[in-house]
Amino acid sequence: MGVIGRPHGVRGLVHVHSYTADPADLPAYGPFFDERGRRFTLRWQGEGVARLSELVDGKPVPVNDRGAAERLVNTRLYVDRDRLPPPEEEEFYLADLVGLDAVGPDGTALGRVEAVHDYGAGASLEIGRLIVPFTRACVPVVDIAAGRITVVPPEEVVVPAPAEASAEAVR
Amino acid sequence: MARSVWKGPFVDGYLLNKAEASRSSGRNEIIKIWTRRSTILPQFVGLTFGVYNGHKFLPVQVTENMVGHKFGEFSPTRTFTGHSADKKAKRG
Repeated sequence: MGVIGRPHGVRGLVHVHSYTADPADLPAYGPFFDERGRRFTLRWQGEGVARLSELVDGKPVPVNDRGAAERLVNTRLYVDRDRLPPPEEEEFYLADLVGLDAVGPDGTALGRVEAVHDYGAGASLEIGRLIVPFTRACVPVVDIAAGRITVVPPEEVVVPAPAEASAEAVR
Repeated sequence: MARSVWKGPFVDGYLLNKAEASRSSGRNEIIKIWTRRSTILPQFVGLTFGVYNGHKFLPVQVTENMVGHKFGEFSPTRTFTGHSADKKAKRG
């Protein structure tokens, strides 16, 4: 969900890089855990600056000196998948889509979803060398429970060259 | 400096032919184009283009809000996939 950055000041505040769509939403997903199993809560104190508390036996212990904050630099913060709210209809978490197996309409394996792109012109799925628009026509079935999507690769528009077109007309 | 209005929007000729062919077919098609400099025209709304970014053809589903922009704006040449966290994709 985010990563702890450099300390800010001498009272234990830290910069936190949020990976959520809206950084303001990050504290609501807490408590977080890291690779070592430590659990943290977080409260924003300014833009990109947060107060962290480590949960020890269920009680929050604030990080309140710079030395402790320095030891947390580059700590990645995670949450369990079930803490994310259910998406709306026709919406899917990128984390759910990446890694799904892609099969064709006849069941042939096409590969695995490697990335989801969205640059302002609709989402698209990268499946090996194939990139398909994330539309109902191209991806009619998304079965996250089964770990599989059905992909109908779109055809390519081919316009005959003018010479071919004229030859066609002569025939 | 902005382009003179009297010239009209710039569009490569072959793109118009391909768009017309796709619109008339009505099938699930993608129009592969290399012309990142072409302006998105109102008659392209609803079509899906594969815009080349020097590496691959990224699908661009044209909507009304994109009219007047260039195709290249929606197919970045330097990509940072980012982190997923709670980000969602909507199926079009």
